[in-house]
Amino acid sequence: MLEAIILGAVSYGACLIFAAEGELIAERSGIVNLGTEGSILCGALLSFMVTVWTGSPYIGAIFGLVGGALPALLHAFMVVGRKADQLASGLAITFLGLGVTAALGKSFVDDKINGMDAIGIPLLKDIPLIGSAFFDQDILTYLALLVGPALWWFFKRTRAGLILRATGESGDVVYAYGHSPRKVRYLAVTAGGALAGLGGAQLVLATTLNWTENITQGRGFVAVALVIFASWLPLRAAGGALLFGAAFALNLVLQTEGVGIPSFYLLMLPYVLTLIVLAVTSKGQKQMMPAGLKAVFAPGGT
Amino acid sequence: MSAPDATVTTGEESRGFDPRAWVPTGTWFKIAAPIAAPLLILLIIPLFGIDVPAVITRSVPFILAALAVALPARAGLINVGGEGQIFIGAVFGAAFVKIVGGGLPLPVMLPMVLIAGTIGGALWVGIAAFLKAYFNVNETIATLLLNYVALYVLSYMVNGALKDPESYGFAIGAMLPDSALLPQLGISTLSIGIVLAVLMTIAVWLLLDRSRWGFRAKVVGGNPEAARRGGFAVNRTVVTALLLGGAIAGFAGVVELAGTELQLRAQMATGFGYIGFLCAFLVAQRAAWIPAGAMLLAAISVYGDSLQLDFGLPAASVYVVMAVIVLFVLGMRGTKTKGAN
Amino acid sequence: MLKRSSKWLAFVALAMLSAFGVTACGSDTATSTSGDAEGQTVGFLYVGPKNDFGYNQAAYEGSLEVEKNVPGTKLIQAENVPETSEASRVMEKMIKDGATTIFATSYGHLQPMLAVAKKHPEVTFEHQGGVKSGANVGTYFGQIYEAQYLTGMAAGLSTKSNKLGYVVAVPIPQTLLNINAFELGAQSVNPKAKTTVVFTGSWCDPAKQKEAADTLIQGGADVLSQHQDCTKTIVETTEKAGAMSVGYHADASSLAPNGWLTGSVWNWGPLYTDIVKTIGEGKWKGSKYDADYRVGFADSDVIELAPFGSAVTPEVEKQVLAKQEEMKAKDFYPFEGPVVDQAGKTQIPKGENPTPAELETTDYLVQGVVGKIPTGK
Repeated sequence: MLEAIILGAVSYGACLIFAAEGELIAERSGIVNLGTEGSILCGALLSFMVTVWTGSPYIGAIFGLVGGALPALLHAFMVVGRKADQLASGLAITFLGLGVTAALGKSFVDDKINGMDAIGIPLLKDIPLIGSAFFDQDILTYLALLVGPALWWFFKRTRAGLILRATGESGDVVYAYGHSPRKVRYLAVTAGGALAGLGGAQLVLATTLNWTENITQGRGFVAVALVIFASWLPLRAAGGALLFGAAFALNLVLQTEGVGIPSFYLLMLPYVLTLIVLAVTSKGQKQMMPAGLKAVFAPGGT
Repeated sequence: MSAPDATVTTGEESRGFDPRAWVPTGTWFKIAAPIAAPLLILLIIPLFGIDVPAVITRSVPFILAALAVALPARAGLINVGGEGQIFIGAVFGAAFVKIVGGGLPLPVMLPMVLIAGTIGGALWVGIAAFLKAYFNVNETIATLLLNYVALYVLSYMVNGALKDPESYGFAIGAMLPDSALLPQLGISTLSIGIVLAVLMTIAVWLLLDRSRWGFRAKVVGGNPEAARRGGFAVNRTVVTALLLGGAIAGFAGVVELAGTELQLRAQMATGFGYIGFLCAFLVAQRAAWIPAGAMLLAAISVYGDSLQLDFGLPAASVYVVMAVIVLFVLGMRGTKTKGAN
Repeated sequence: MLKRSSKWLAFVALAMLSAFGVTACGSDTATSTSGDAEGQTVGFLYVGPKNDFGYNQAAYEGSLEVEKNVPGTKLIQAENVPETSEASRVMEKMIKDGATTIFATSYGHLQPMLAVAKKHPEVTFEHQGGVKSGANVGTYFGQIYEAQYLTGMAAGLSTKSNKLGYVVAVPIPQTLLNINAFELGAQSVNPKAKTTVVFTGSWCDPAKQKEAADTLIQGGADVLSQHQDCTKTIVETTEKAGAMSVGYHADASSLAPNGWLTGSVWNWGPLYTDIVKTIGEGKWKGSKYDADYRVGFADSDVIELAPFGSAVTPEVEKQVLAKQEEMKAKDFYPFEGPVVDQAGKTQIPKGENPTPAELETTDYLVQGVVGKIPTGK
């Protein structure tokens, strides 16, 4: 039972990890991207289409990055270039992504692809409880597990990471040091979208092997919540995504065990759990929030 | 941020083309234009073969959902939870009918149903307000997450407690009794919902632009620190604004239930809350202009039928049109406070 | 100043053009006209996409047969029509476009349809899976649980672990009847067979379906069936895991070359064709379609068994087909008592045989099913 929950947490959470870390990069540069949902959708569809055409999910995954980056680039342009409201622009881009993918994806609903196969790591995959979840997965899921630590290292140890973080705190300081905060934000938002697109690729190439309209079912919005839940820390965001996946897996496992909790409560559980954790941890969050985001989340500076 | 951030030059002139600079600005115009604009839209759309009553019907929840965003926005709050508050409003309305039954006459029953739904919306946003006031949880995120919970509440109710016993077990609510339905206007399928929506618009406009409370909210939204020092009850204003926003969204849900759907349905009003959010930003959160924005989005939404039936596009394609229009306006206008600095 | 704004305008124009170009690429001809204008215009509403390897595809394929077999028929198709007042708007638009007959293929389209039907007495409405009819409204449905009983037998005979899995959307009588029939069929040939149910809460969420299927297989199930609108993901996941599949709604055997057992499928074409013909001849009023028309194996071929897969042995096939013959001859009914629910309470007494209408009120799961109805009943 525990093994099934851990496995479900990883396979359901992988897409969320990509999306949340992508959102995190954007927010660390001072820009909220509610268009992440649109990025996942576009990444998912483009990677699926390319996989249908080429037969290779690996080429498809690369195009997942492109598919996710495009809507995010538009968001960066709207927000940085045209000074549009961040939340409204992001939401509009989610709608754009939903509409465009619904139209373009219509004829791909019944296409069959060979998804990514699991590549087991010898010995490790036989570890009880966690072996199958962490060491017997496809490439994209392995990647998802690595994104959190990689970002942690990026922010902590690299100069580029430092500049990115500084941009989120104060564009002026970065400017004074000779960097263009504008360029940094463009890059951060677009890269974040690309990651979200990779999450979309994971969803269709490793999980469902199918495309349907609105296949993301709000994962992009959950990702936005997870970033705040994680106080903008990459490792915590990955943990949050896994926790969310686990809460979902718990629902299924409890059902198969015949536990008599109405499953509608269990369906709400991941969202309620996230809210509760937010309430518990929000004390520390105020200091953790990139200063540049305060204009969005607390206009006027509360 | 006013310092030389080389990326964006400061000052209004850099925003470029602003259509508002070219239109008259007299008081008469400020009042007449927002009234004329939606009527103009209604005059034009028959040329595209779009059904006018259907557009008006659809605009009702959009208007109310947009007001539910615009009101809290004045106090600096972002309510992305209209979607969920609409669901809960409808659930409360239907639950009230189920508990009370159909015995009461319409003048008593209908207002009570509407009030029940309104309270439902306020209670739902109240969770976010509570979390904000006591745990400092950001309302944007809280209302967003609550949308999903609300969706499952609606789904649970339709499958469980509020399921119509006559529906042979199918997951659908009971038809509301006539005494709980919004009276028809006698034109096509139009109910008095549009009248209620317009009245609500006027009420919100008066509250925001003509009342003491509206001024207070504006100060709080502009600079809470200064407001606090100036002796304003910041927390109370914030909580009130959020509750009022949720109440309007709940009202939207129950109006949709009693005027259009007539029974609780699992898929009802899907996406309306988010479209209302876009609508509010389309008109820069000015209450008076919301009917115009809502009418435009409703026309596009109804045009989706034609896109699908006549051109074979999926119904979701209307989102492309909506998004492009909203992005166009957002890009044209820019914002002073919330864009990236 | 002007330069900047004109750049923005140009950009927007370009973006709009490309957006519409993009959406136009995704379009296909929805309305297909064939032949003379004499024939009827028939509107079809589907709750999901028409190529979902499931409920909507089955209905869509049926509609195409009407076009083929009734000369002069013009179809108006609408996919993804939500079960809200939106459906009535779509129907109004169809009537404006000339539809004289409308098929609404999802249960939730019923109330919107009744509202539109009242306003348009000249149009004939047919509702799929409904329970009541108006003056110009007929309903029809197939007793697909009969087929699910047979697939349950195939599953019960083929399973090695005696654990069967069932992925369901929401608890409505249709889904509960199917689960019950499946388990009863399995029990009838394998008393040890137990069916574990998982409710996903939605009709088509592939990611949830995949996790649900994985969870069931992890729990030891080696045959999976389902009641979802889109069926592809579960069949593919099951195949990948090396387990066996029982399909639902539409024949998906091509997705599971190794593990396919059989499935319950709809064959709407002949029924739709006959209904449209009857209407065209002006004989609909008072006909069997102007009522509550529901049929099983005995009276029609609306429901069928999908072709048997390689995972089914000839003996199993023979046994299942023999039972189908009994149903056709009205010698056997899946829900003939005694039927006992999970709590041990007798729901259908010994020897009693409920009518289809009585079965439509099913709100329990039978003994042998693992898992609870999610509304907590």
